[in-house]
Amino acid sequence: MTLATVDYLVLALYFAFVLGIGWLLKKKVTTSSDFLTSGRSLPVWITSLAFIATNLGAQEVIGMCGSGAKYGVMQAHFYWLGAIPAMLFVGLFMMPFYYGSRARSVPEYLKLRFDEKTRTFNAVSFAVMTIFSSGVSMYVLGKLLQLVLGWNFLASVLFAAAIVLVYTSLGGLTSAIYNEVLQFFLIVLGFAPLAILAVIKAGGWGGIQQRLEPKWTHAWQYMGNAADNPMGSDMFSVVVGLGFVLSFGYWCTNFLVVQRAMAADSMSSARRTPIIAAFPKMFMPLIVILPGIAALALSRMAGSGYSLPMLDGKLDADMVMISLMGKFYPAGLLGVGITALMASFMSGMAGNVTAFNTVWTYDIYQGHIRKGAPDSHYLMVGRISTVVGTLLSVAAAYVAQFYKNIMDLLQLVFGVVNAPLFATFLLGMFWMRATGLGAFSGLVSGTTAGLLTLSLTVAEDKGGWLGNLHTFRSTMAQNFWIAMVSFGVCFVVTVLLSVVGKAKPAADLKGLVWGATDMPKTGDEPWHKRPVPLAVVAAVVCIAINIWLW
Amino acid sequence: MWDLRLPAGLFFTGLGIILCAYGLLFPGIRAELASDINVNLYSGISMGVFGIILLLLAWRKRA
Repeated sequence: MTLATVDYLVLALYFAFVLGIGWLLKKKVTTSSDFLTSGRSLPVWITSLAFIATNLGAQEVIGMCGSGAKYGVMQAHFYWLGAIPAMLFVGLFMMPFYYGSRARSVPEYLKLRFDEKTRTFNAVSFAVMTIFSSGVSMYVLGKLLQLVLGWNFLASVLFAAAIVLVYTSLGGLTSAIYNEVLQFFLIVLGFAPLAILAVIKAGGWGGIQQRLEPKWTHAWQYMGNAADNPMGSDMFSVVVGLGFVLSFGYWCTNFLVVQRAMAADSMSSARRTPIIAAFPKMFMPLIVILPGIAALALSRMAGSGYSLPMLDGKLDADMVMISLMGKFYPAGLLGVGITALMASFMSGMAGNVTAFNTVWTYDIYQGHIRKGAPDSHYLMVGRISTVVGTLLSVAAAYVAQFYKNIMDLLQLVFGVVNAPLFATFLLGMFWMRATGLGAFSGLVSGTTAGLLTLSLTVAEDKGGWLGNLHTFRSTMAQNFWIAMVSFGVCFVVTVLLSVVGKAKPAADLKGLVWGATDMPKTGDEPWHKRPVPLAVVAAVVCIAINIWLW
Repeated sequence: MWDLRLPAGLFFTGLGIILCAYGLLFPGIRAELASDINVNLYSGISMGVFGIILLLLAWRKRA
């Protein structure tokens, strides 16, 4: 595949706007809070779109399309069963504490609620995780551009990272968020034609249903038995493992996304951010998963001219999206498609970098290295850590080139880090008796239990370094079970140690815990400005989609 | 704070113009599996319309 002049023109136009937005916002940044938290000033439609855009990195977009071809409609459970309930929950029940506590980051909330050691544990694991996930994302993109367009791996990675660095270090979080909104629009408009063209070619949804066995086009019907569905997972592990533990762990406690809502201009906007975001989010499978399903159907159609990309006899999932683009996009729109891919990479990376610099500056540097310096000092530290964070991600991507298996491993390990966190927050926000010692010990033992499960089970030849007690049908099923084990252990240990310890007095928990906090009143606003009615509408629409594709 | 819809609107209007112009000037440039549709023209029109809507929204707020 080669790009024409017009394709490069589209790319150049996009880069010009991205940098322009950063440059225009430069003057607005005078304090560390402007730079790292947007001074809590952004309107709700902007924070909502940024909330989903930051999660829509290149790896997600490429991965979801490949998974659509691998797992069919069931892959959409990452959205309908996973993201949506968790997003509604964080908006309704958790945002009053995040936003109301005046914490500047998720780890800082843990310090206010529990103690310094719990915060530091979370801050350090989160900081490491953001660097590696933006490194992995960069690696995936660089590899793809190298393979498909023949671009130099290091040069394209460095170039894309430099652009992200320029606009985030100029305008800070506001610049990252504004660009995420632009990137979100571009991702939707750049990938939507692919879904439309591929589905039409496959004979519409009816044609796809005809060509594929029903297990590919139903979300719930074949989940009774793990052996019957493409995902190799049963209903219990999908609902509890993915729907409850993994998704709530990600959407409710990951500072990367929560930071977007915390930048909103009021409590009401902060609560509505994830709830409004739920509406576009539930339709994202149409753009990112559906093309993959259509690709599978096309590959089963005699004379369609399309075949799925294969590697060593197995589906090469990461190549599905780009192979579709090659067949359906002419020069011109192909440039838009490649630009959209770049945009998704940048929004994911900027999300990681801006979350990293905040956690580093406020939770690690101000917490442990230098307390009580003037604000201008922390603004400078924020800017420097933006540069350092970017350089570290580039280094991670570079290393990944030589040790692909290490990156696979790290991704598995991160799954383990995320899962127990939701137990800590659930107990911290809704149970006044939970203590710092309980939370810290719960997190450490939950993480350890997750790592042990990973080391003692095998799926698709992964894991099992200490032995093999159980073999899963897919790495997906293994992930779900690891998440459930580490969540369960963290929950039980936190409860047990909290019961024997001494809880903080209720006066110290005001604004931090359910029961010690006055919940925000929203009675006089019209319904579309109130979190609860909006969440009910979102839930009803989401359930309707699930029934339709049962 | 300035309105984000202004730069976003300009970007998509520009993108729309490029794609429409390309689609009209070179209607023969087609992708292998979408050879019966002028994909550039139609996606250019939709992106341009989206851009203009954003610009109108930004302009209405200012007026």
